[in-house]
Amino acid sequence: MLFDVNTAIGHWPFRKLQDNDAPSLRKLLESHKITMAAVANINGIFYKNTQDANLELAEALAPHRDFFTGIATLNPAYAAWERDLEYCVRTLGLKGLRLLPQYHNYPVFSPEAVNIAAAAAQFDIPILIPQMIVDKRQKHWLDVETYVDVHELGRLCRKVPQAKFILTEYRIPANLIDESGKPLYPNLYIEISRLRSAYMQDLAKLAQALGSDHLLFGSGAPFKEISPAILKMQCADLSGQEKAQINGLNAHSLFSL
Amino acid sequence: MNKLKKYAVIDAHNHLSVNAAMNLNRADAENVLRAADRLGIDTLCVSIPLTAPCPSPDEFIRVNNAVAEGMRMNRRFLGFCFVNPGYQDEALREVERCIVKEKMAGIKLYHQYLICDPIMKPLMRLAAGLGVPVLMHAGKCTDAESLKSQPLLSNALHFLKAAEMFPETTLIQGHIGGGGYWEWNLRVLEKRPPNVYIDTSGSVIDRGIVRRTIDALGIDHILFATDGIFEEGAGKVIDAGLSESEYQKLLRDNFQRILAMRKV
Repeated sequence: MLFDVNTAIGHWPFRKLQDNDAPSLRKLLESHKITMAAVANINGIFYKNTQDANLELAEALAPHRDFFTGIATLNPAYAAWERDLEYCVRTLGLKGLRLLPQYHNYPVFSPEAVNIAAAAAQFDIPILIPQMIVDKRQKHWLDVETYVDVHELGRLCRKVPQAKFILTEYRIPANLIDESGKPLYPNLYIEISRLRSAYMQDLAKLAQALGSDHLLFGSGAPFKEISPAILKMQCADLSGQEKAQINGLNAHSLFSL
Repeated sequence: MNKLKKYAVIDAHNHLSVNAAMNLNRADAENVLRAADRLGIDTLCVSIPLTAPCPSPDEFIRVNNAVAEGMRMNRRFLGFCFVNPGYQDEALREVERCIVKEKMAGIKLYHQYLICDPIMKPLMRLAAGLGVPVLMHAGKCTDAESLKSQPLLSNALHFLKAAEMFPETTLIQGHIGGGGYWEWNLRVLEKRPPNVYIDTSGSVIDRGIVRRTIDALGIDHILFATDGIFEEGAGKVIDAGLSESEYQKLLRDNFQRILAMRKV
């Protein structure tokens, strides 16, 4: 089993993407032996009314429900997100919520974020927050250059301990362990696609520190190539059971599949 | 994982490091070799560039000594000597020492000067005379932080100009995936200056980056590299859909052709 928690469909206005519709993306992922994937709609980054992106996503995924797990994108600073969240979960069958504070213009630790995180927890769906969408060093002049600060996200994790957060595209190193060696944020999960593995074994070390139940395989497709993430798992000094957790068991559990 | 292994891969851009006493960090060198083994990389071109605005001759000599120690530690390391071209006489002496006496394979430059700065002339002339390449940290960063911290970061336009200024010197533009605006760099390099190569390293693994690089410069001018970012370096090449012939050129033959230009 290989479950990719970090994929997307839709249009990215700053660079032409390929395989960014559901059938093509599925084919691409399956060619890398990925068996299931969580997918969000890129358009939700840019639409003011993000619910339109969620409706698009649900329609696109309808023939692929055996493969894709849909992730809603909502802006808690926008109108009617409560109704939209309920509709996404109960009617559209989306199983996760993506928040984009850097694009939707609210602090990651803010009353808006706290409210929507608490609501997501009530629906028992995880909240995915990308540290970045693309590397800011090559940003388009209209794009943002703000990365999500892990410890700001950590404040949100602590404020809403019943919620489960997945930090995707995690790259900027941060200390996630307290002085006694315990995770600072027990409800924070990390997607692995930007962690070093063969050299320095950062991925394996993070798995040891946080627990292998707190890491998740992800690729970042179709923005990024997929094989690097697969190589990271292959090169990690982890047991077969630990790799199985990261490669899919943890995602199955978090998305209640 | 071993898909690359059969090619006896040369990583054209990688690094060693020094400890607090400025000696080779041997444990780190072992880590680099272990990582290379896992990805199927055979030979690694290594340097220890200093990123300060104006490293002194004493400092660049010490890091080059560490690189030479790395070469003695394991023959899979091919050294590149780092110098600050601002110290013209000392830089020339150091290049001569490293290439001739220490048998290093090339010169590594960082962002102390643009590659087309006139101050480079004696150094480039020496590189051409020795028949060794000049690998330069490069990119076209567009974010405020990078623009502030690396005001003299060379991009493809600077390389085009340098290619004309130093037509006898082999220039390697470092890491197309080093974080900069790679599509812009490639559009500039579509002019295909004959003495400019580009390496594929860097953490950026945007889909299609390797294929687009090949399309822009031609396969004969692309060098495989990781810059120490191993899975990204290997994975983006694996995903590029290369033919057998392209693999062979990218992973080994192109760099061997550069090595064969050596005159000393």
